[in-house]
Amino acid sequence: MAESTSNTSHAGGLVKTLRPYHVWALGVGIVLVGEYMGWNFTIAKGGVLGSLFAMLVAGTMYTVISLCASELGSATKLAGGPYDWARLFVGPGAAAIVGLAVYMEFIALEAADAIVVAFIASEIFPQLQVFPVTLFVIALLTFINYRGVVGALTLNFALTMLAFFAIITFFFATALGAVETHPGYLLEGAMPNGLIGLFAALQFGPWFFLGIEGAAMCAEECKHPSRAVPLGQQAGMITLLVGAAMTLFLCTTLIPTDALGVSVYPLFEAAQNSGVFIFVALLGVGTLLTCIASANGCVCDASRSWFALSRDEYVSPWFSAVHPKYSTPYKAVIFTAPIAVAFAFSGFLDQVITFSIVSGLLCYVLIPFSLIRFRKLFPESTSKIRPFAGPLQPYIAYFAIGIAILIMSTLFWGYRYNLLFGLLFYTIAYFYFSSRRKHTSGNEPLWSELGWPEPEKTPDQKLKEVSCIECSR
Amino acid sequence: MSAAGNTAASAATQSKYGSKLNMDSVLIAVMLILLYSVQLFLVYSVFSATKPVLSEYSGLVPVYLLFVGLMFTIETIGCLRVRQSIKQHMHEFRYYD
Repeated sequence: MAESTSNTSHAGGLVKTLRPYHVWALGVGIVLVGEYMGWNFTIAKGGVLGSLFAMLVAGTMYTVISLCASELGSATKLAGGPYDWARLFVGPGAAAIVGLAVYMEFIALEAADAIVVAFIASEIFPQLQVFPVTLFVIALLTFINYRGVVGALTLNFALTMLAFFAIITFFFATALGAVETHPGYLLEGAMPNGLIGLFAALQFGPWFFLGIEGAAMCAEECKHPSRAVPLGQQAGMITLLVGAAMTLFLCTTLIPTDALGVSVYPLFEAAQNSGVFIFVALLGVGTLLTCIASANGCVCDASRSWFALSRDEYVSPWFSAVHPKYSTPYKAVIFTAPIAVAFAFSGFLDQVITFSIVSGLLCYVLIPFSLIRFRKLFPESTSKIRPFAGPLQPYIAYFAIGIAILIMSTLFWGYRYNLLFGLLFYTIAYFYFSSRRKHTSGNEPLWSELGWPEPEKTPDQKLKEVSCIECSR
Repeated sequence: MSAAGNTAASAATQSKYGSKLNMDSVLIAVMLILLYSVQLFLVYSVFSATKPVLSEYSGLVPVYLLFVGLMFTIETIGCLRVRQSIKQHMHEFRYYD
């Protein structure tokens, strides 16, 4: 798919109007909620040093994943993101499990975000009930995404900016001495469970950054994907690294470690402990806004993943329709609502969220692997094939796969059944879709549709072809 | 359009593209500076407050520093590549029109 130079729309397809700040808003919007809540379970497992270790290890892995997503997204320019990369460069079984994993990851997160918004709303206005407010939030965000991607992501930009501004303001005021901190808390809760705690903390490290790879999923709707995706994705990754460091500093110096490990809204609690009203208000509003932004971004990404699966007939092609007026994959967007509601009221939300993390980690193995395969198939860096080429590849891709497997293995402590169930689910999906696709035509990627030449055959492939011909004789 | 008009239009486009590329470069530089300063501030704060614990586990500090170094190096080279890619393709794909 050659990059357009002048068109802002694509007849019969998705509208191409997004800019780098929309990519940033999509990525950071989904993830920033993890810095407002959830990451602090690293403290419960490994104390302050465990949390810092988890943040640095996960941060390094996500930096690499971001670079892989930038390169693959700006090259393929397709809405399915990790699914399309696996389909093109790995195979149909891997594509199906990545598509499902991305869908599950974002739908589960949307359900959790909508419930948190409803809880906060019911705490502010006690007359409101959680169930109808959750339904209202899911319905409203589905409608916004149905009406158009530009409106949805511009809203995400505003919400995310405000939420990030709240963290920055609070951090600089605290670091410059306007808020009294307690450095003693850092020593008291430095490493309560010893070295084993450091590794146990790794399982919650992804909370700081979980979902940033989703930023590249709007590549098909970008005006200039070869600029918007790498710039927006890297700016988003740096924003999250900065936000994670600020959050860790604020919370560990303002909340005793015992309380921080079990806090529901750690940043808001840190603001409450500061005793400064403006920060309490800012971080309270920030918590609410970041949950809405995350749910909004999840509707966008989950629907694109389902749309891409449908377009290639992994699921019913009925979902691949594009709205004639709004140019959105409206059937896939609407379909996110009942699934999110079912997840939200399943009664197993904590299990669903853990499943979401397992799904994410599986993607973090397959995204770098897709990049390694992409580089092998298309070693040349022309502006048509690879307008952005990330550095130090494929070595850092192998490194990221190693860290993702390491983090996945730490889930065995405490979440072994979730991990085993997740791996079993995706193994069955792999074999089911691989065998199903064997019997359908048109499985080979059509490189010409991407505007690419046929890839050069490796000596191994040539050898295989020769032996196949000999076998058939 | 006359040759003089064409030259003026081309110079205006070059100037516009140069200034827009500078804006992207400044954005990248500011973000990287913020990243280095905030991360180093955090690591310094945690290390200085937990010195007694870290002295018990002498092998830990190099591991932390290794990951800080890796993160900074990969992100910095990645951002420089983003700038290089924008500069290389900005006229071909008309990024700033």
